[in-house]
Amino acid sequence: MERLITCLLGFGLLLSSSVYAAADVEAGRIKGQTCLGCHGIVNYNNVYPTYHVPKLAGQHQAYLVAAMKAYKGGLRSHATMYGNVADLSDQDMQDIAAYFSQDAQ
Amino acid sequence: MKQLINSVLAVSIFIVSANVLAATDIAKGQEKSAACAACHGVNGNSSNPMFPIIAGQHADYIIHALRAYKTAKRKNPMMQATAGALSDEDIINLAAYFSAQAGLKTLKR
Repeated sequence: MERLITCLLGFGLLLSSSVYAAADVEAGRIKGQTCLGCHGIVNYNNVYPTYHVPKLAGQHQAYLVAAMKAYKGGLRSHATMYGNVADLSDQDMQDIAAYFSQDAQ
Repeated sequence: MKQLINSVLAVSIFIVSANVLAATDIAKGQEKSAACAACHGVNGNSSNPMFPIIAGQHADYIIHALRAYKTAKRKNPMMQATAGALSDEDIINLAAYFSAQAGLKTLKR
């Protein structure tokens, strides 16, 4: 009985690990190419209203995912950001966040 | 008459720009930052991954974000409560302080 439970537990862990696949920086570098059009240019400006596009290098990965989800879910409104994150899966967000959380050095 | 207009213009430009400059005060921003430090870290370099690093972020972006939280255009209960208690002068000073700290950068292509 104990062995069965352990087995089931192990199987459950295996399942959850496949759902939460590790974030992949290299995949994020490819998926994040369009992001660089604004976030990869030093001192690039948003317009209407005008302010600098936020710096992302070195930011926490979990926070970047939370921010993308907020744009996708409408908690933050920004037409361009919505357009860019609306089609992203959770895995895409994890990968892109892992890429941007790297330090710029 | 032209001279009068010129001098009125010069004086008003001086007053307006002096007021704008006086509105940004990093030291006052640092004073106000104690409440922010609880989540965002001592100088904006938070160690908790759920709270963003704001050290080194562009000042005008911080201002934009704080105003958006204050007016609930950006929805986050904690930030709405915290930013809601700030005056616009506080927001400008905090942004000046945090943007002057070493932290975030722009990722190189």
